[in-house]
Amino acid sequence: MAWIALVVAGLFEMFGVTMINKLHKDHSWQPFVLLLVGFAGSFLFLAYALQALPMGTAYAIWTGIGAAGGAITGMVLYGESKHWKRVLFIIMILGAVIGLKLVS
Amino acid sequence: MNHEWMKVIIAAFFEVCWVVGLKHADDLWTWTGTVLAIVISFYLLVKSGEKLPVGSAYAVFVGLGTAGTVLSDIVFFGEPFKLEKILLIAVLLAGVIGLKLVEDEKKGEEA
Repeated sequence: MAWIALVVAGLFEMFGVTMINKLHKDHSWQPFVLLLVGFAGSFLFLAYALQALPMGTAYAIWTGIGAAGGAITGMVLYGESKHWKRVLFIIMILGAVIGLKLVS
Repeated sequence: MNHEWMKVIIAAFFEVCWVVGLKHADDLWTWTGTVLAIVISFYLLVKSGEKLPVGSAYAVFVGLGTAGTVLSDIVFFGEPFKLEKILLIAVLLAGVIGLKLVEDEKKGEEA
């Protein structure tokens, strides 16, 4: 359960960051409320995951899913660069997350 | 070491504080401290991004945050040192830092 909560926390983080970008383009209350919901959800699920997992592992994975997810969202939804370096870094992050799950 | 980078370092310190708090806080005071640490860390990071390249600032911040939490685990909370775990965290971190630095590179080309 802790691992699922951690992935969900990372996804909420990704959602919150996407809403920050949206807020920059569209100054209305909707993205602002959604970004608050995103970060609140992110911290709640991370706190739950941390009860069972070591801090270093949980923190690194939380940040990693936020960063990789943000880059993937940017590529798919906002036409950001799909440069091979970005793809390689995303693969490194996801590979390391899977590896950490396997060794713990 | 200029003033703006000091903000990034202090932000990372508070980042480690709130991660410790989320795991170990157990009463009103420790939870209040945890929430305060989240706010301070976020505020300082955003502030530093006004003057510094955002990707680089974030890369340094997340590097220090990760190193800080891994070390706190081992030094203060008796988590055993496992080489394969540290190596995987290093690969993950390299990926995050890489993604952030590519963003600055891209902006540099546009400018």
